[in-house]
Amino acid sequence: MTRALVTGASAGLGRAIAERLAAEGHDVTGVDRDHPGAEAPFAHIACDLADRDSVDALAARLIEDGPFDQTVLNAGISATGPFEAIPAKAHARVMAVNAEAPMVLCAALARAGALSRGGRVVFVSSLSHFTGYPGAASYAAAKDALAVYARSIRKPFARTLGVTVSAAFPGPLRTDHAARHAPAGADAEKRMAPDVAARLILAEAARGRAVIVPGARARWMALAGRIAPAAVTGAMRRIVYDKLDRAVW
Amino acid sequence: MAGGRRAILITGGTSGIGLALVRRLAPRHDLLVAGRRAPDDAAAVLPQGVRYVHAPLTTPEEAVRTVAEAVLKAGWVRLDNAILNAGVGFAVPGGIETAGQIRATLDVNLTASVMLARTLHPWLARAGGTLTLVGSVARRGQGLFPAYAASKAGLHGLARALRSEWRDTVAVQVIHPGPTRTGMHAKAGHDPGRLGAVFLPAGPVAAMIEGAIAARRSPVTVSHGRFVAGGALWSRRL
Ligand SMILES: NC(=O)c1ccc[n+]([C@@H]2O[C@H](COP(=O)([O-])OP(=O)(O)OC[C@H]3O[C@@H](n4cnc5c(N)ncnc54)[C@H](OP(=O)(O)O)[C@@H]3O)[C@@H](O)[C@H]2O)c1
Repeated sequence: MTRALVTGASAGLGRAIAERLAAEGHDVTGVDRDHPGAEAPFAHIACDLADRDSVDALAARLIEDGPFDQTVLNAGISATGPFEAIPAKAHARVMAVNAEAPMVLCAALARAGALSRGGRVVFVSSLSHFTGYPGAASYAAAKDALAVYARSIRKPFARTLGVTVSAAFPGPLRTDHAARHAPAGADAEKRMAPDVAARLILAEAARGRAVIVPGARARWMALAGRIAPAAVTGAMRRIVYDKLDRAVW
Repeated sequence: MAGGRRAILITGGTSGIGLALVRRLAPRHDLLVAGRRAPDDAAAVLPQGVRYVHAPLTTPEEAVRTVAEAVLKAGWVRLDNAILNAGVGFAVPGGIETAGQIRATLDVNLTASVMLARTLHPWLARAGGTLTLVGSVARRGQGLFPAYAASKAGLHGLARALRSEWRDTVAVQVIHPGPTRTGMHAKAGHDPGRLGAVFLPAGPVAAMIEGAIAARRSPVTVSHGRFVAGGALWSRRL
Protein backbone atom coordinates (compact mmCIF):
# COMPACT_ATOMS: atom_id res chain seq x y z
CA MET A 1 0.00 0.00 0.00
CA THR A 2 1.32 3.45 -0.85
CA ARG A 3 1.44 6.29 1.64
CA ALA A 4 -0.04 9.74 1.22
CA LEU A 5 0.25 12.87 3.32
CA VAL A 6 -2.25 15.74 3.26
CA THR A 7 -2.04 18.89 5.38
CA GLY A 8 -5.19 20.80 6.25
CA ALA A 9 -7.01 17.50 5.81
CA SER A 10 -9.89 17.96 8.22
CA ALA A 11 -12.02 20.27 6.08
CA GLY A 12 -12.46 21.87 2.68
CA LEU A 13 -10.20 21.00 -0.24
CA GLY A 14 -7.73 19.07 1.93
CA ARG A 15 -10.53 16.87 3.24
CA ALA A 16 -11.72 16.15 -0.29
CA ILE A 17 -8.19 15.29 -1.40
CA ALA A 18 -7.56 13.05 1.63
CA GLU A 19 -10.84 11.19 1.12
CA ARG A 20 -10.17 10.70 -2.57
CA LEU A 21 -6.67 9.38 -1.93
CA ALA A 22 -8.05 7.02 0.74
CA ALA A 23 -10.72 5.80 -1.69
CA GLU A 24 -7.98 5.13 -4.25
CA GLY A 25 -6.38 2.81 -1.71
CA HIS A 26 -3.63 4.95 -0.24
CA ASP A 27 -2.72 4.83 3.41
CA VAL A 28 -3.42 8.49 4.20
CA THR A 29 -2.10 10.64 7.03
CA GLY A 30 -4.01 13.87 7.53
CA VAL A 31 -2.51 16.79 9.43
CA ASP A 32 -4.74 19.48 10.86
CA ARG A 33 -5.34 21.61 13.92
CA ASP A 34 -8.89 20.23 14.15
CA HIS A 35 -9.88 16.58 14.40
CA PRO A 36 -11.50 15.24 11.20
CA GLY A 37 -14.12 13.25 13.12
CA ALA A 38 -14.28 9.52 13.77
CA GLU A 39 -15.78 8.79 10.34
CA ALA A 40 -12.73 10.10 8.45
CA PRO A 41 -11.11 7.35 6.36
CA PHE A 42 -7.59 8.47 7.23
CA ALA A 43 -5.23 8.81 10.21
CA HIS A 44 -4.98 12.16 11.95
CA ILE A 45 -2.04 14.06 13.42
CA ALA A 46 -2.88 17.25 15.29
CA CYS A 47 -0.54 20.16 14.60
CA ASP A 48 -0.64 23.94 14.69
CA LEU A 49 1.36 24.81 11.59
CA ALA A 50 1.89 28.37 12.82
CA ASP A 51 4.11 27.07 15.61
CA ARG A 52 7.73 26.31 14.68
CA ASP A 53 8.39 23.74 17.38
CA SER A 54 5.22 21.89 16.43
CA VAL A 55 6.22 21.90 12.77
CA ASP A 56 9.67 20.55 13.61
CA ALA A 57 8.15 17.81 15.79
CA LEU A 58 5.67 16.99 13.01
CA ALA A 59 8.50 16.73 10.46
CA ALA A 60 10.41 14.32 12.72
CA ARG A 61 7.32 12.14 13.17
CA LEU A 62 6.46 12.13 9.45
CA ILE A 63 10.03 11.11 8.60
CA GLU A 64 9.51 8.08 10.86
CA ASP A 65 6.16 7.26 9.24
CA GLY A 66 7.32 7.85 5.64
CA PRO A 67 8.32 7.61 2.90
CA PHE A 68 5.33 9.21 1.18
CA ASP A 69 4.36 8.59 -2.44
CA GLN A 70 1.98 11.52 -2.52
CA THR A 71 2.39 14.66 -0.46
CA VAL A 72 -0.22 17.38 -0.72
CA LEU A 73 0.72 20.53 1.17
CA ASN A 74 -2.66 22.17 1.24
CA ALA A 75 -3.15 23.79 4.66
CA GLY A 76 -3.78 27.50 4.55
CA ILE A 77 -5.39 30.32 6.48
CA SER A 78 -6.45 33.77 5.39
CA ALA A 79 -6.70 37.33 6.63
CA THR A 80 -9.15 39.43 4.66
CA GLY A 81 -9.95 43.10 4.91
CA PRO A 82 -8.03 46.35 4.48
CA PHE A 83 -4.38 45.42 5.07
CA GLU A 84 -3.94 48.11 7.74
CA ALA A 85 -7.06 46.95 9.64
CA ILE A 86 -5.47 43.54 10.30
CA PRO A 87 -2.89 43.24 13.11
CA ALA A 88 0.72 42.72 12.00
CA LYS A 89 0.81 39.48 14.02
CA ALA A 90 -2.11 38.05 12.07
CA HIS A 91 -0.28 38.79 8.81
CA ALA A 92 2.80 37.03 10.21
CA ARG A 93 0.65 33.98 11.01
CA VAL A 94 -0.57 33.84 7.43
CA MET A 95 3.07 33.81 6.28
CA ALA A 96 3.95 31.06 8.75
CA VAL A 97 1.09 28.70 7.87
CA ASN A 98 0.76 29.35 4.14
CA ALA A 99 4.40 29.72 3.09
CA GLU A 100 6.88 28.74 5.79
CA ALA A 101 5.33 25.51 7.09
CA PRO A 102 4.86 23.78 3.71
CA MET A 103 8.34 24.80 2.56
CA VAL A 104 9.96 23.60 5.79
CA LEU A 105 8.03 20.32 5.75
CA CYS A 106 8.84 19.63 2.11
CA ALA A 107 12.55 20.36 2.55
CA ALA A 108 12.74 18.28 5.75
CA LEU A 109 11.06 15.26 4.12
CA ALA A 110 13.26 15.60 1.03
CA ARG A 111 16.45 15.86 3.07
CA ALA A 112 15.57 12.75 5.10
CA GLY A 113 14.64 10.68 2.05
CA ALA A 114 11.00 10.57 3.13
CA LEU A 115 9.68 11.39 -0.35
CA SER A 116 9.52 8.18 -2.40
CA ARG A 117 11.35 8.10 -5.71
CA GLY A 118 8.73 8.24 -8.45
CA GLY A 119 6.33 10.01 -6.09
CA ARG A 120 4.91 13.50 -6.17
CA VAL A 121 4.49 16.65 -4.15
CA VAL A 122 1.65 19.09 -4.73
CA PHE A 123 1.62 22.58 -3.23
CA VAL A 124 -1.77 24.24 -3.05
CA SER A 125 -1.30 27.90 -3.95
CA SER A 126 -4.19 30.06 -5.14
CA LEU A 127 -5.62 31.55 -8.32
CA SER A 128 -4.63 34.89 -6.73
CA HIS A 129 -1.11 34.11 -8.00
CA PHE A 130 -2.38 35.09 -11.44
CA THR A 131 -5.00 37.70 -10.55
CA GLY A 132 -3.62 39.58 -7.54
CA TYR A 133 -5.80 39.87 -4.44
CA PRO A 134 -6.52 43.32 -2.95
CA GLY A 135 -8.22 42.66 0.37
CA ALA A 136 -5.97 39.72 1.21
CA ALA A 137 -2.51 41.13 0.56
CA SER A 138 -0.59 38.91 2.98
CA TYR A 139 -2.48 35.83 1.81
CA ALA A 140 -1.62 36.69 -1.79
CA ALA A 141 2.03 37.26 -0.85
CA ALA A 142 2.27 33.90 0.92
CA LYS A 143 0.57 32.01 -1.91
CA ASP A 144 2.87 33.66 -4.47
CA ALA A 145 5.86 32.63 -2.38
CA LEU A 146 4.60 29.05 -2.27
CA ALA A 147 3.96 28.95 -6.02
CA VAL A 148 7.49 30.09 -6.81
CA TYR A 149 9.00 27.76 -4.22
CA ALA A 150 7.31 24.88 -6.07
CA ARG A 151 8.55 26.16 -9.41
CA SER A 152 12.08 26.57 -8.03
CA ILE A 153 12.46 23.04 -6.65
CA ARG A 154 10.75 21.26 -9.55
CA LYS A 155 13.90 20.70 -11.57
CA PRO A 156 16.33 19.84 -8.77
CA PHE A 157 13.80 17.49 -7.15
CA ALA A 158 13.15 15.69 -10.43
CA ARG A 159 16.86 15.36 -11.10
CA THR A 160 18.18 14.33 -7.71
CA LEU A 161 15.17 12.72 -5.99
CA GLY A 162 13.02 11.51 -8.88
CA VAL A 163 10.09 13.38 -7.33
CA THR A 164 7.59 15.39 -9.40
CA VAL A 165 6.60 18.77 -7.96
CA SER A 166 3.39 20.56 -8.95
CA ALA A 167 1.61 23.70 -7.84
CA ALA A 168 -2.19 23.94 -7.87
CA PHE A 169 -4.02 27.24 -8.24
CA PRO A 170 -7.66 26.75 -7.30
CA GLY A 171 -10.10 29.63 -7.66
CA PRO A 172 -13.00 30.22 -5.25
CA LEU A 173 -14.19 26.96 -3.64
CA ARG A 174 -17.44 26.15 -1.85
CA THR A 175 -15.83 25.68 1.57
CA ASP A 176 -16.40 27.08 5.05
CA HIS A 177 -13.06 28.86 4.78
CA ALA A 178 -14.20 30.71 1.64
CA ALA A 179 -17.59 31.58 3.14
CA ARG A 180 -15.90 33.13 6.17
CA HIS A 181 -13.69 35.38 4.05
CA ALA A 182 -15.98 36.13 1.10
CA PRO A 183 -17.28 39.65 0.50
CA ALA A 184 -20.91 40.47 1.28
CA GLY A 185 -23.41 39.10 -1.24
CA ALA A 186 -20.95 36.67 -2.85
CA ASP A 187 -22.71 33.83 -4.64
CA ALA A 188 -21.58 30.45 -3.27
CA GLU A 189 -23.08 28.65 -6.28
CA LYS A 190 -20.41 30.15 -8.55
CA ARG A 191 -17.67 28.49 -6.53
CA MET A 192 -16.26 25.09 -7.40
CA ALA A 193 -17.18 22.13 -5.18
CA PRO A 194 -14.09 20.92 -3.28
CA ASP A 195 -14.42 17.30 -4.46
CA VAL A 196 -14.42 18.46 -8.09
CA ALA A 197 -11.28 20.52 -7.48
CA ALA A 198 -9.66 17.57 -5.66
CA ARG A 199 -10.33 15.23 -8.58
CA LEU A 200 -8.93 17.67 -11.16
CA ILE A 201 -5.85 18.50 -9.07
CA LEU A 202 -4.94 14.86 -8.39
CA ALA A 203 -5.48 13.88 -12.03
CA GLU A 204 -3.25 16.67 -13.32
CA ALA A 205 -0.61 15.93 -10.68
CA ALA A 206 -0.59 12.30 -11.82
CA ARG A 207 0.24 13.57 -15.32
CA GLY A 208 3.21 15.43 -13.88
CA ARG A 209 1.92 18.91 -14.65
CA ALA A 210 3.91 21.79 -13.16
CA VAL A 211 0.97 24.19 -13.11
CA ILE A 212 -2.53 23.00 -12.26
CA VAL A 213 -5.42 25.44 -12.63
CA PRO A 214 -8.63 23.47 -11.98
CA GLY A 215 -11.65 24.40 -14.10
CA ALA A 216 -12.26 26.39 -17.26
CA ARG A 217 -13.37 29.49 -15.39
CA ALA A 218 -10.19 29.58 -13.28
CA ARG A 219 -8.03 28.94 -16.35
CA TRP A 220 -9.65 31.85 -18.11
CA MET A 221 -9.02 34.14 -15.12
CA ALA A 222 -5.39 32.99 -14.94
CA LEU A 223 -4.88 33.75 -18.61
CA ALA A 224 -6.48 37.19 -18.28
CA GLY A 225 -4.30 37.92 -15.25
CA ARG A 226 -1.17 37.07 -17.17
CA ILE A 227 -2.10 39.16 -20.19
CA ALA A 228 -3.37 42.22 -18.32
CA PRO A 229 -2.14 42.03 -14.73
CA ALA A 230 -3.06 45.57 -13.68
CA ALA A 231 -6.55 45.43 -15.20
CA VAL A 232 -7.35 42.10 -13.58
CA THR A 233 -6.08 43.27 -10.18
CA GLY A 234 -8.31 46.32 -10.64
CA ALA A 235 -11.26 44.04 -11.34
CA MET A 236 -10.40 41.98 -8.24
CA ARG A 237 -10.42 45.20 -6.25
CA ARG A 238 -13.96 45.95 -7.39
CA ILE A 239 -15.17 42.35 -6.95
CA VAL A 240 -13.55 41.73 -3.57
CA TYR A 241 -11.93 44.69 -1.81
CA ASP A 242 -14.64 47.29 -2.44
CA LYS A 243 -17.30 44.87 -1.20
CA LEU A 244 -15.59 43.70 1.99
CA ASP A 245 -17.72 44.83 4.89
CA ARG A 246 -15.45 43.51 7.63
CA ALA A 247 -11.93 42.37 8.40
CA VAL A 248 -11.55 38.67 9.30
CA TRP A 249 -8.42 36.90 10.45
CA MET B 1 9.11 65.83 -6.31
CA ALA B 2 12.74 66.95 -6.44
CA GLY B 3 13.65 69.78 -4.12
CA GLY B 4 11.86 68.90 -0.89
CA ARG B 5 13.77 67.35 1.96
CA ARG B 6 12.34 63.89 2.62
CA ALA B 7 12.22 61.61 5.62
CA ILE B 8 13.42 58.23 4.35
CA LEU B 9 13.73 54.85 6.05
CA ILE B 10 16.02 52.25 4.42
CA THR B 11 16.48 48.71 5.69
CA GLY B 12 19.80 46.99 5.02
CA GLY B 13 21.61 50.22 4.17
CA THR B 14 24.98 49.05 5.43
CA SER B 15 26.31 47.38 2.29
CA GLY B 16 25.69 46.72 -1.39
CA ILE B 17 22.74 48.35 -3.14
CA GLY B 18 21.31 49.77 0.10
CA LEU B 19 24.55 51.53 1.01
CA ALA B 20 24.84 52.90 -2.52
CA LEU B 21 21.31 54.30 -2.16
CA VAL B 22 22.17 55.79 1.24
CA ARG B 23 25.23 57.52 -0.24
CA ARG B 24 23.14 59.01 -3.05
CA LEU B 25 20.32 60.21 -0.82
CA ALA B 26 22.14 61.31 2.36
CA PRO B 27 23.29 64.74 1.09
CA ARG B 28 19.73 65.84 0.23
CA HIS B 29 17.42 64.00 2.64
CA ASP B 30 16.93 62.84 6.24
CA LEU B 31 17.81 59.16 6.46
CA LEU B 32 17.16 56.46 9.00
CA VAL B 33 18.92 53.17 8.29
CA ALA B 34 17.82 49.93 9.96
CA GLY B 35 20.30 47.07 9.96
CA ARG B 36 21.62 43.98 11.67
CA ARG B 37 25.03 45.39 12.61
CA ALA B 38 26.00 46.78 15.97
CA PRO B 39 25.78 50.61 15.90
CA ASP B 40 29.57 51.10 15.90
CA ASP B 41 30.04 48.82 12.90
CA ALA B 42 27.27 50.62 11.06
CA ALA B 43 28.70 54.05 11.88
CA ALA B 44 31.97 52.98 10.28
CA VAL B 45 30.35 52.72 6.83
CA LEU B 46 27.43 55.20 6.93
CA PRO B 47 27.84 58.84 5.83
CA GLN B 48 27.82 61.54 8.53
CA GLY B 49 24.39 62.59 9.74
CA VAL B 50 22.58 59.38 8.83
CA ARG B 51 20.56 57.96 11.72
CA TYR B 52 20.92 54.25 12.47
CA VAL B 53 18.86 51.70 14.37
CA HIS B 54 19.99 48.17 15.19
CA ALA B 55 17.03 45.96 14.24
CA PRO B 56 17.91 42.46 12.98
CA LEU B 57 15.02 41.32 10.82
CA THR B 58 15.49 37.64 11.68
CA THR B 59 13.14 38.43 14.57
CA PRO B 60 10.54 40.45 12.65
CA GLU B 61 8.14 41.27 15.47
CA GLU B 62 10.82 42.71 17.70
CA ALA B 63 12.57 44.45 14.81
CA VAL B 64 9.41 46.17 13.64
CA ARG B 65 8.78 47.48 17.15
CA THR B 66 12.37 48.76 17.36
CA VAL B 67 12.10 50.49 13.98
CA ALA B 68 8.81 52.16 14.94
CA GLU B 69 10.38 53.43 18.16
CA ALA B 70 13.35 54.80 16.21
CA VAL B 71 11.03 56.69 13.86
CA LEU B 72 9.28 58.22 16.86
CA LYS B 73 12.59 59.04 18.53
CA ALA B 74 13.74 60.80 15.38
CA GLY B 75 10.69 63.03 15.88
CA TRP B 76 9.25 62.04 12.51
CA VAL B 77 5.48 62.29 12.25
CA ARG B 78 5.50 61.41 8.56
CA LEU B 79 7.56 59.17 6.36
CA ASP B 80 8.00 60.13 2.72
CA ASN B 81 9.71 56.88 1.74
CA ALA B 82 10.18 53.45 3.24
CA ILE B 83 12.66 51.44 1.17
CA LEU B 84 12.60 47.81 2.31
CA ASN B 85 15.85 46.59 0.82
CA ALA B 86 17.42 44.21 3.37
CA GLY B 87 17.71 40.71 1.99
CA VAL B 88 19.40 37.35 2.49
CA GLY B 89 19.54 34.05 0.71
CA PHE B 90 21.34 30.71 0.89
CA ALA B 91 22.66 28.83 -2.11
CA VAL B 92 22.04 25.10 -1.62
CA PRO B 93 22.64 21.93 -3.62
CA GLY B 94 19.59 20.04 -4.90
CA GLY B 95 17.16 22.80 -3.94
CA ILE B 96 16.99 21.56 -0.34
CA GLU B 97 17.46 24.23 2.32
CA THR B 98 17.51 23.64 6.07
CA ALA B 99 14.52 24.77 8.15
CA GLY B 100 16.71 27.50 9.62
CA GLN B 101 17.67 28.81 6.18
CA ILE B 102 14.07 28.86 4.97
CA ARG B 103 12.90 30.65 8.11
CA ALA B 104 15.68 33.25 8.05
CA THR B 105 15.07 33.97 4.36
CA LEU B 106 11.32 34.36 4.74
CA ASP B 107 11.61 36.36 7.97
CA VAL B 108 14.10 38.91 6.66
CA ASN B 109 12.88 39.24 3.09
CA LEU B 110 9.13 38.77 3.38
CA THR B 111 7.55 38.59 6.84
CA ALA B 112 9.49 41.60 8.15
CA SER B 113 8.44 43.56 5.05
CA VAL B 114 4.78 42.62 5.54
CA MET B 115 4.93 43.67 9.19
CA LEU B 116 6.84 46.88 8.46
CA ALA B 117 4.33 47.82 5.76
CA ARG B 118 1.50 47.31 8.24
CA THR B 119 3.21 49.22 11.06
CA LEU B 120 4.54 52.13 8.96
CA HIS B 121 1.26 52.73 7.12
CA PRO B 122 0.10 55.68 9.29
CA TRP B 123 3.43 57.50 8.82
CA LEU B 124 3.45 56.87 5.08
CA ALA B 125 -0.20 57.87 4.69
CA ARG B 126 0.36 61.21 6.46
CA ALA B 127 3.07 62.04 3.93
CA GLY B 128 1.29 60.63 0.89
CA GLY B 129 4.50 58.64 0.73
CA THR B 130 5.95 55.73 -1.18
CA LEU B 131 6.56 52.17 0.02
CA THR B 132 9.30 50.50 -2.01
CA LEU B 133 9.92 46.76 -1.84
CA VAL B 134 13.21 45.55 -3.29
CA GLY B 135 12.50 42.26 -5.02
CA SER B 136 14.66 40.39 -7.49
CA VAL B 137 14.46 38.98 -10.99
CA ALA B 138 14.80 35.63 -9.18
CA ARG B 139 11.13 36.01 -8.20
CA ARG B 140 10.21 33.90 -11.24
CA GLY B 141 11.92 30.84 -9.74
CA GLN B 142 15.49 29.74 -9.05
CA GLY B 143 16.59 26.23 -8.12
CA LEU B 144 19.82 27.36 -6.48
CA PHE B 145 18.01 29.28 -3.71
CA PRO B 146 14.32 28.35 -3.69
CA ALA B 147 13.28 30.17 -0.51
CA TYR B 148 14.96 33.37 -1.71
CA ALA B 149 13.08 33.21 -5.02
CA ALA B 150 9.88 32.46 -3.11
CA SER B 151 10.35 35.42 -0.77
CA LYS B 152 10.83 37.77 -3.71
CA ALA B 153 7.70 36.43 -5.43
CA GLY B 154 5.91 37.11 -2.14
CA LEU B 155 7.04 40.73 -2.25
CA HIS B 156 5.74 40.98 -5.81
CA GLY B 157 2.32 39.71 -4.75
CA LEU B 158 2.27 41.96 -1.70
CA ALA B 159 3.00 45.02 -3.83
CA ARG B 160 0.44 44.01 -6.43
CA ALA B 161 -2.35 43.81 -3.85
CA LEU B 162 -1.29 46.74 -1.66
CA ARG B 163 -0.73 49.11 -4.54
CA SER B 164 -4.37 48.63 -5.41
CA GLU B 165 -5.63 48.82 -1.80
CA TRP B 166 -3.64 51.96 -0.96
CA ARG B 167 -3.93 53.76 -4.30
CA ASP B 168 -5.45 56.87 -2.66
CA THR B 169 -2.99 57.10 0.24
CA VAL B 170 0.42 55.48 -0.33
CA ALA B 171 2.20 54.54 -3.57
CA VAL B 172 3.36 50.94 -3.28
CA GLN B 173 5.94 49.56 -5.66
CA VAL B 174 8.18 46.55 -6.14
CA ILE B 175 11.52 46.94 -7.90
CA HIS B 176 13.31 43.86 -9.18
CA PRO B 177 17.08 44.29 -9.60
CA GLY B 178 18.98 41.96 -11.87
CA PRO B 179 22.35 40.42 -10.92
CA THR B 180 24.39 43.07 -9.12
CA ARG B 181 27.99 42.98 -7.92
CA THR B 182 27.58 43.15 -4.14
CA GLY B 183 28.63 41.00 -1.21
CA MET B 184 25.30 39.19 -1.28
CA HIS B 185 26.43 36.26 -3.39
CA ALA B 186 29.42 35.52 -1.17
CA LYS B 187 27.21 35.84 1.94
CA ALA B 188 24.81 33.36 0.32
CA GLY B 189 27.64 30.86 -0.16
CA HIS B 190 27.48 31.21 -3.92
CA ASP B 191 30.32 31.96 -6.31
CA PRO B 192 28.90 33.22 -9.62
CA GLY B 193 32.31 32.55 -11.23
CA ARG B 194 32.90 34.16 -14.60
CA LEU B 195 29.25 35.19 -14.78
CA GLY B 196 30.02 37.66 -11.99
CA ALA B 197 31.91 39.78 -14.52
CA VAL B 198 28.68 40.77 -16.27
CA PHE B 199 26.85 41.72 -13.04
CA LEU B 200 26.07 45.43 -12.85
CA PRO B 201 27.88 47.52 -10.22
CA ALA B 202 25.81 48.63 -7.20
CA GLY B 203 26.15 52.36 -7.96
CA PRO B 204 24.29 52.42 -11.29
CA VAL B 205 21.70 49.96 -9.96
CA ALA B 206 21.05 52.30 -7.02
CA ALA B 207 20.74 55.22 -9.47
CA MET B 208 18.12 53.34 -11.49
CA ILE B 209 16.28 52.34 -8.31
CA GLU B 210 16.22 55.98 -7.20
CA GLY B 211 14.72 56.89 -10.57
CA ALA B 212 12.05 54.21 -10.24
CA ILE B 213 11.22 55.42 -6.72
CA ALA B 214 10.82 58.98 -7.94
CA ALA B 215 8.54 57.78 -10.74
CA ARG B 216 6.45 55.70 -8.28
CA ARG B 217 5.82 53.00 -10.89
CA SER B 218 5.40 49.27 -10.26
CA PRO B 219 6.57 46.66 -11.00
CA VAL B 220 9.94 47.80 -12.34
CA THR B 221 12.85 45.61 -13.43
CA VAL B 222 16.23 47.26 -12.99
CA SER B 223 18.76 45.30 -14.99
CA HIS B 224 20.92 45.24 -18.08
CA GLY B 225 18.21 46.38 -20.49
CA ARG B 226 17.54 49.57 -18.59
CA PHE B 227 21.28 50.06 -17.98
CA VAL B 228 22.18 49.75 -21.65
CA ALA B 229 19.41 52.22 -22.47
CA GLY B 230 21.20 54.76 -20.26
CA GLY B 231 18.91 54.27 -17.27
CA ALA B 232 21.67 54.96 -14.78
CA LEU B 233 22.61 58.23 -16.47
CA TRP B 234 19.20 59.72 -17.07
CA SER B 235 17.22 58.45 -14.10
CA ARG B 236 15.25 61.00 -12.09
CA ARG B 237 16.41 62.04 -8.66
CA LEU B 238 14.27 61.76 -5.61
N1 LIG C 1 23.05 41.58 -5.61
C1 LIG C 1 22.18 41.09 -6.46
O1 LIG C 1 22.56 40.45 -7.45
C2 LIG C 1 20.71 41.29 -6.24
C3 LIG C 1 19.83 40.96 -7.27
C4 LIG C 1 18.48 41.12 -7.09
C5 LIG C 1 18.00 41.62 -5.89
N2 LIG C 1 18.86 41.93 -4.89
C6 LIG C 1 18.29 42.43 -3.64
O2 LIG C 1 18.77 43.70 -3.35
C7 LIG C 1 18.76 43.91 -1.94
C8 LIG C 1 20.12 44.37 -1.50
O3 LIG C 1 21.04 43.31 -1.76
P1 LIG C 1 22.60 43.55 -1.98
O4 LIG C 1 22.98 42.92 -3.24
O5 LIG C 1 22.92 44.97 -1.75
O6 LIG C 1 23.17 42.60 -0.82
P2 LIG C 1 24.06 42.95 0.44
O7 LIG C 1 25.23 43.75 0.02
O8 LIG C 1 24.29 41.68 1.13
O9 LIG C 1 23.09 43.88 1.31
C9 LIG C 1 22.01 43.35 2.02
C10 LIG C 1 21.70 44.26 3.18
O10 LIG C 1 20.73 43.65 4.02
C11 LIG C 1 21.24 43.61 5.34
N3 LIG C 1 20.71 42.48 6.09
C12 LIG C 1 20.96 41.16 5.89
N4 LIG C 1 20.34 40.42 6.82
C13 LIG C 1 19.71 41.29 7.65
C14 LIG C 1 18.94 41.14 8.82
N5 LIG C 1 18.71 39.95 9.37
N6 LIG C 1 18.44 42.25 9.41
C15 LIG C 1 18.69 43.46 8.89
N7 LIG C 1 19.42 43.67 7.80
C16 LIG C 1 19.93 42.58 7.18
C17 LIG C 1 22.73 43.51 5.15
O11 LIG C 1 23.44 43.83 6.33
P3 LIG C 1 25.07 43.70 6.37
O12 LIG C 1 25.61 44.94 5.71
O13 LIG C 1 25.40 43.65 7.82
O14 LIG C 1 25.44 42.44 5.62
C18 LIG C 1 22.93 44.50 4.05
O15 LIG C 1 22.91 45.82 4.52
C19 LIG C 1 18.36 42.58 -1.33
O16 LIG C 1 16.98 42.61 -1.02
C20 LIG C 1 18.62 41.61 -2.43
O17 LIG C 1 17.82 40.47 -2.29
C21 LIG C 1 20.21 41.78 -5.04
